[in-house]
Amino acid sequence: MIRIKNISMKFNLGIDKDFSFKMLFISLFDRKRRPKLEEFWALKNVSFDVQKGEVVGLIGSNGAGKSTLLKVVSGVMKPTKGKVEVDGSVAPMIELGAGFDQELTARENIYLNGAVLGYSKAFIDEKFNEIVEFSELVDFLDVPVKNFSSGMVAKLAFSISTIVDPEILIVDEILSVGDIKFQEKSRNKMMEMIKGGTTVLYVSHSLASIQELCDRVVWLEHGEVKMIGDAKTVCDAYYLEQMGETQEQGIQRRKQENEEKKHKEKNVKRKKKHEKVIDRQL
Amino acid sequence: MKTIKNIFANFKRYSFLMQQLVSRDFKVKYKRSVLGILWSLLYPVLMMIVMAIVFSQMFNMRMEGVNYLVYLMTGLVMFNYFNEASNLAMTSVVTNFTLMTKVYIPKYIFPISKCLFVGINFLLTLIPLLFVILFTGSGATKCDINIYYLILPYIFLCMFLFTVGLGLLLATISVFLRDMFYIYGIILTIWQYFTPIFYDIQMLPTKLQAIFKLNPLYVFITSAREIILFSKMPDPYLLVSSGVFAIGMLLIGIYFFRKKQDQFIYHI
Repeated sequence: MIRIKNISMKFNLGIDKDFSFKMLFISLFDRKRRPKLEEFWALKNVSFDVQKGEVVGLIGSNGAGKSTLLKVVSGVMKPTKGKVEVDGSVAPMIELGAGFDQELTARENIYLNGAVLGYSKAFIDEKFNEIVEFSELVDFLDVPVKNFSSGMVAKLAFSISTIVDPEILIVDEILSVGDIKFQEKSRNKMMEMIKGGTTVLYVSHSLASIQELCDRVVWLEHGEVKMIGDAKTVCDAYYLEQMGETQEQGIQRRKQENEEKKHKEKNVKRKKKHEKVIDRQL
Repeated sequence: MKTIKNIFANFKRYSFLMQQLVSRDFKVKYKRSVLGILWSLLYPVLMMIVMAIVFSQMFNMRMEGVNYLVYLMTGLVMFNYFNEASNLAMTSVVTNFTLMTKVYIPKYIFPISKCLFVGINFLLTLIPLLFVILFTGSGATKCDINIYYLILPYIFLCMFLFTVGLGLLLATISVFLRDMFYIYGIILTIWQYFTPIFYDIQMLPTKLQAIFKLNPLYVFITSAREIILFSKMPDPYLLVSSGVFAIGMLLIGIYFFRKKQDQFIYHI
């Protein structure tokens, strides 16, 4: 379904972004002062396959290259080296509401954002009511999006981008959208899509949700694949390396700490009570 | 052959997006104004009146046997299209960067949608032009609607394609060199004065005339003027060179845009 073969991704830091005539002029005469290309490899020789219907999680610390990898798979970026083969339609849920125009109303934005995601007019017409209903924004359809709260914007965007049944779904931590009720609803929707046999590439920092949803997990570090395997093994190894203890130990430790805290509080209370009793006696 | 097929398939797939972007531009442009879309009709008329007063009253500009109002307005309306469309097409890629980094969209959509948006506006401005043609001038300077009007769409199409090509080229350059926004502003001002909009090219020395005639905008505007003002078939040389300019610029624009578009994303 998705074949990622030896992908490397290079960014040039420095020169390109502060190109100016001054520097161009200087570098013409003085080779030493020519700004150096500062290379940064966001991905180094990453390869793995994702089978049809499989849910694969990506974990790693900030800047490990997770989002870059998603962008390469969704076609936003072309890799410097290597090849990505994707069979099927891709629905990127990378950042929600990117296609919104603040001046337009919710109704107009549903069509605009739908078009950005590559839906046809007939498709949006057909799904319009479903989108509105899911977003819980029926009363605000003709209000410009600039007057929406950020939660409302996120709800609308989530409802639009999950309306398709894509063959491949790319998700970058969007489950924490809106209020509690909507979070639960969006979680269920995601689960429904995942269980419906969609191939999913999922990025999250929440190991719990990764373990719950994913069949396999890829651990990226400094742009390289550090480990691939079943969800539990990789998550445990990752947690151990990051926190210096296993997840169970972590849970144990927190439990212990909590108990100690409670104990202390109890002691303090008892002391106070004691003091009060003494006060009264005096 | 396969690539051509792909291009058309892509066009079809994203035509709805193109339509949405154009209608978005319209909605946003006129949303808070009282007169709304009427401004598209009023603006060129007001511009024409200002320029007509400046040049025919203050500078005492006269052209024998020519309806100066129509002469002025034809040039003005056409150059305004070119001015606005090429400018918006240039900035369109940079202003839509955030979108491009999140979802895959063919990048050429943005410059082309801007050229279309201004193009529709341009068609609206032809309505007041038509009124000026019908209701001004008298005797020899009266303009008629004639059979050669059928050639006008070809001329406008050439101007459109030329603008798209230039827009693609400018958009590519401006991604790598943001100074282009300012540089092009100056170029446009110079270009406007070097295009005979409110004067006649015959007023210039013969040597200069030859150079001025290489200006694609001169070619488009003059072709349209021959039809509108003098009710005659434009010189075949003008018609052919219109097409050559249009296709040539379009190919140049497409070539550079395609070559560089994958690198856009690193220059946000």
